Amino acid sequence: MKLRLCAGVSALLMTAGLSACSSSSDASGDGSGKSTTIDVWLMRDSVSAEFQSDFVKGFEAAHPDIRVKVQIQEWDGIGEKVTAALASNDAPDVIETGNTQVAQFAQSGGLLDLSGKAGELGGQNWLKGLAEPGSYGGKQYGIPYYAANRVVIYRTDLFKKAGIDATAIKTRDQWIAATEKLNTGGTQGIYLPGQNWYTLAGFVWDEGGDLATESGGKWKGSLDTPEAIRGMEFYQKLQALGRGPKDADEANPPQADVMAKGKVAQVVSTPGGANVVIQSNPALKGKLGFFPIPGKTAGTPGAVFTGGSDLVIPTASTKQDAAYTFIRELTGDTWQKKLALAMSYVPNKTTLASAVASDPGAAAMAVGAAEGHATPNTPGWAAVEAKNPIKDYMTAVLTGGDVHKAATTASEAITAAMNSGS
Amino acid sequence: MPAVREQTVSRPPLTTRPPRRSSGTGRRRPSTAVGRGIWPYVLIAPAVLGTLYLLVYPLVRAVVISLQDFGLRQLILGDARFVGFRNYETLLGDDRFWEVVRRTFLFMAVNVVLIMVLSTLVALMVERLGRFGRTTVLSALVLTWAMPVIAATTVFQWLFHSEFGIVNAVLTDLGFESFHRYPWFAHGPAAFAIVVVLVVWQSVPFAAITLYSALTTVPTELYESARLDGASGPRIFRSITLPIVRPIFLLVLSLEVIWTFKAFVQIWVMTNGGPGDATTILPVYAVQTALSSQRYDLGSAASMVTVVLMSGVLVLYFRQMFRQEDELA
Amino acid sequence: MSTTRPRVRRLPLNAAAVVTVVVCLFPVYWMVATAFTPTRDIQSDNPRIIPETWTLDHFRTAVGAAGFGLFWRNSILVTLSAVLLALVIALGAAYAVARMRWRGRRQFMLMVFIAQMAPWESLIIPVYIISRDTGMLDRLPTLTLVYFMMTLPFTVIVLRGFIGTIPPELEESAQVDGCTRLGAFRHIAFPLLAPGLMATSLFGYITAWNEFAYANFLIIKQQDHRTLPVWLSSFQNVFGTDWGATMAASTLFAAPALVVFLLLQRHVTAGFAAGAVKG
Repeated sequence: MKLRLCAGVSALLMTAGLSACSSSSDASGDGSGKSTTIDVWLMRDSVSAEFQSDFVKGFEAAHPDIRVKVQIQEWDGIGEKVTAALASNDAPDVIETGNTQVAQFAQSGGLLDLSGKAGELGGQNWLKGLAEPGSYGGKQYGIPYYAANRVVIYRTDLFKKAGIDATAIKTRDQWIAATEKLNTGGTQGIYLPGQNWYTLAGFVWDEGGDLATESGGKWKGSLDTPEAIRGMEFYQKLQALGRGPKDADEANPPQADVMAKGKVAQVVSTPGGANVVIQSNPALKGKLGFFPIPGKTAGTPGAVFTGGSDLVIPTASTKQDAAYTFIRELTGDTWQKKLALAMSYVPNKTTLASAVASDPGAAAMAVGAAEGHATPNTPGWAAVEAKNPIKDYMTAVLTGGDVHKAATTASEAITAAMNSGS
Repeated sequence: MPAVREQTVSRPPLTTRPPRRSSGTGRRRPSTAVGRGIWPYVLIAPAVLGTLYLLVYPLVRAVVISLQDFGLRQLILGDARFVGFRNYETLLGDDRFWEVVRRTFLFMAVNVVLIMVLSTLVALMVERLGRFGRTTVLSALVLTWAMPVIAATTVFQWLFHSEFGIVNAVLTDLGFESFHRYPWFAHGPAAFAIVVVLVVWQSVPFAAITLYSALTTVPTELYESARLDGASGPRIFRSITLPIVRPIFLLVLSLEVIWTFKAFVQIWVMTNGGPGDATTILPVYAVQTALSSQRYDLGSAASMVTVVLMSGVLVLYFRQMFRQEDELA
Repeated sequence: MSTTRPRVRRLPLNAAAVVTVVVCLFPVYWMVATAFTPTRDIQSDNPRIIPETWTLDHFRTAVGAAGFGLFWRNSILVTLSAVLLALVIALGAAYAVARMRWRGRRQFMLMVFIAQMAPWESLIIPVYIISRDTGMLDRLPTLTLVYFMMTLPFTVIVLRGFIGTIPPELEESAQVDGCTRLGAFRHIAFPLLAPGLMATSLFGYITAWNEFAYANFLIIKQQDHRTLPVWLSSFQNVFGTDWGATMAASTLFAAPALVVFLLLQRHVTAGFAAGAVKG
C-alpha cells in the first residue's frame, strides 16, 4: 500500500524531475553525515573483477559519503529479475540493462527519467546505438554505458600457413574463399554455431532487410522478405565451412572454449572473446588477430549489431541522488577510457574513440561500428528475444528445412510476440 | 536387503486385516474414536488457515488479476483497472491457445499411459524377483526418484547434446549414421519425445514403488487358492490383484495426471517450450505469457483455465473418492 | 529338468530387471562420470562410457564458485523448516481425518486434493505482490512458507492413509490402561508412524530442495539469500555451460537427496506401502 502511494506520487512528479521517494530518504542519509550505501547491479562479464575493484575504490575515495555494493547478475532470466526489482519497495539503485531492454522497462514507469541530466553527462556525443534504445517517448531513461560489436577473431598462424592475408579480406566472396581454403583436415574454417542470430542480423542488414518493420504503429516480422532470406542463405553457406552445432548458440558450448582447443581458424565474436580463448589455452597467445566482418562490397564493411548496455535508476530506488553520482562517474570520460581499454569495449562517446585506437580488437570493432544497427526499438522486442523464434528459424533452415516456409513461420512468431505486450 | 526387511516389517499389520479394507474396518474405526466436539477442528485449523492465507488468498488475487488489465506498468504502479472477461475472450479466441490445450492433453495422455503401464510392469516384475534382484531394482528406482529435477533435466540435455552427447555417439556406433550430430532439440517431435522420456523416467519410480508396495499387501493365500482352482495368470491378475490394488492404482493415476499436467520445470529448463511451440504445454504457455511478455493478466487467465480443465479430468476420481469417504463417514 | 526350468523361465524376468536398473541409473551414472572427466575428453567427438582419465578439477571449480557454502546452508535451512512445519501441521490434520468423525471432513479432504492441483507457476505474481506489500520480499521465511504450502496437501494425503493402517484398537487398549488420548497416540501410534513420516518428509524435501521459480523471483536484492537451484542455474552461465563443472555442481546438488534416499530406502518403500494402501 505504502509503495503504491509512493510510486504513484513519484510517477506524477517524475515529469518535474523530482522524486518523492528519494528526496526524503536521501536528505536524511546525506544530512546526518552518515554514508549511504547504494546497490548496483552489473551484468556478468560486463567488467572484470580487477576493473570493478579499481573503480569502486576510486569512486569511494572521491565520494566518501557513498559506499558501493556491486552485485553481478546473470543474463539468463534477467528480464524477470529486473521486473521483480523495479516493482519492489526496495529496488537496487543502479541497474545495468542491455540496450535493447530499456524500452520495455521505461514504458512501465519503473525507471527514472534522466533527460534533464543528458547535457551534464555529455549526451550530445553519446553513441547512437546506445542512446537511442535508452530513450522512450522522447525521454532519456538509459544512460549509455559501453558498446561492443562483433568482429572476426582469427588464428594468425593458420592464416599464414594457408597463405592468406587477413587484411586483404574485404568482401564476402573473399571471406568465403579464404574460409574454404582453411577448412581442411582437422581444422574448421570457421566455427559458427547455428543460432548466432546477431551475426545473422548483420547479414540481413547487409542485404537491406531487417528483423522487423513498423508501419502505422504495428510491428511486423520481416525475415521472409527476399533480402532477409538472402542474408540467411549467406549464413548457411558460411556455417557449412566448419562444424558448428546447428541447434545451439555461441554459448553452448562456449565458442571461446572450442577455439581454445586449437582446431578452429575463425570465430565471430566481440574482441573480448580473444582474452577468454587465451585464458583457457595460453599457447594461443600472440596467435589471434582481428578483422571486421566483411561486407558485400569492398567499400562497406559488414553491418553489425551494436550490443552494449545502458545504466538506469529505478523509480523505486531510495537513493537516487547517490545513484546518479555513481552513473556520472562510471559513464564519465576518465573511467570510460579505462573501461574500454580493460575490456576491449567501444566507449560510450564518439569523442573517446581515440582512447582505444591502439588496441587491434577495438580498431577492428570501430570499422564495423560505422555500420552499427540496433534491434527494433520498441517494448515488444524483449518478448521476441525471450522466446527467440529467430534461433528456431536458423536451426530449421540449417537442418534442411524449406527456407521460405521457415521464414514465414518465424516472421509470424515475431509479429505475434511484438504485439503481445500491452 | 533393506527392501526385504521392509516387506516383512510392513506386512503383518496389513495382512491381519481383511484386504478389502473398505466397509468393515472403515465403518468401525471412526465410531470407536471419541472424535466429536471441537478437537478435529482444532487439529485441522493450522492446515486450513495456512491454506487460506498461502494458497486461497493468492489464488483469489490471481483471479482478480485475470479480470484486470494488468501488465508490467500495473505491477509497478498498481493502478490496474477491471476489464471484465476481456482476457478470457482474448485467450479463448486465440488459435494458438487451443493448439496448446490440445498439445497439453496429448502430452498428459502419452505420459500417463506410459507411466502407468511401465510402472505396473516394473511393480509386477519386482514382486517376482529374488531377494537380491528386488533390492537392486528398488534401490535403482529410489535413486532415480531422488534425483533433483533440475539436475536430471541438465543431465538429459547433456545426454542428447547434438555434438558431444552420448546418445548420438551410441546410435552412430550402432550404425544409425543419420544420428551423427543429430540436433534433437531442433525438431519438434524429437524434442517432445525427449521431454516425454524425461518425465516418464522421473515419474515411474514413484508409481512403481507405490504399486509394488500395494502388491505386497495381497495375501499370498489368495494366490495359492486361486492357483489350486486352476485360474490362469491373467485371470488371477484380473480378479485378485486388480481389485485389491485398484484404489492405489487410481490414486497414483490421479497424482500422475496432476503432475504431468503441471510439468513445467523440465520443459522450461530444457526447451523453453520450443522449437517453435512444439513443447509448449499450458503451464509453460502461462509463464511465457506472464513473465516473458509481461501480460500477467493473460497468464493468470490461462492458469485459471488450466485448473478448470484439470479438474474436469479428475472429476471422475473425485467422485470415486467421495464415495469412499461416504463409506467411512 | 526340475532345476533348469525355473532358471530358464526366470531369464526374461532377470533380463527385464537388468534393463530397468540400467535405464534408471544410466543418467545418474553419466552425470557423475562426466563430473570426473577432463574437459578435453568431454568435448571429444567420441564420448566414452567409462572415462579414460579421472579428474577432480570440476569439483574444485564447483566448490570454489562464489557462495557455494552459503547457498547450501540456505537451501538446507529453508527445506528443513518447510518440511518440519508441513509434517507437524499435516499430522494433526491427518489424524483428525483418519480417526475422528466430524462435519466437513469430506469437504476438507476435497480441499486438500484441490490444493494439490494448485497452479503454483501462475501464483508467483500474486505471491510476489503479497510479500511485497507485507515486507516479506528478499527473506528466506517467505520461501519456507511457500514450500510448506506446496508440500502440505501431499503430506496430509499420505499421512492420512498411513494413520489409517494402524489399528485403532492398539491406542484404545492403551487408553484403557490409563493413557490419555494424546499419550496413547504418542506412545503407540507415533513409533509405528515413523516410516510414514520419513517417506512423506522425503517427498517434501525433494520438492523444496528443487524449487527454482520462487527462489529466483522472491529473492531479489539479498543475493546472500539465494538457494542452490538458483545457484545451479546461474552456474551454467558463469561457467558458460562448462559441462564438466555443471555436472559436478549437479552431482553436489543431487548428492544429499541421493544419499538420504538410499539410506532410508526401506522406510521410503514401506512408508508408501502403508500410506498408499489406504489411498
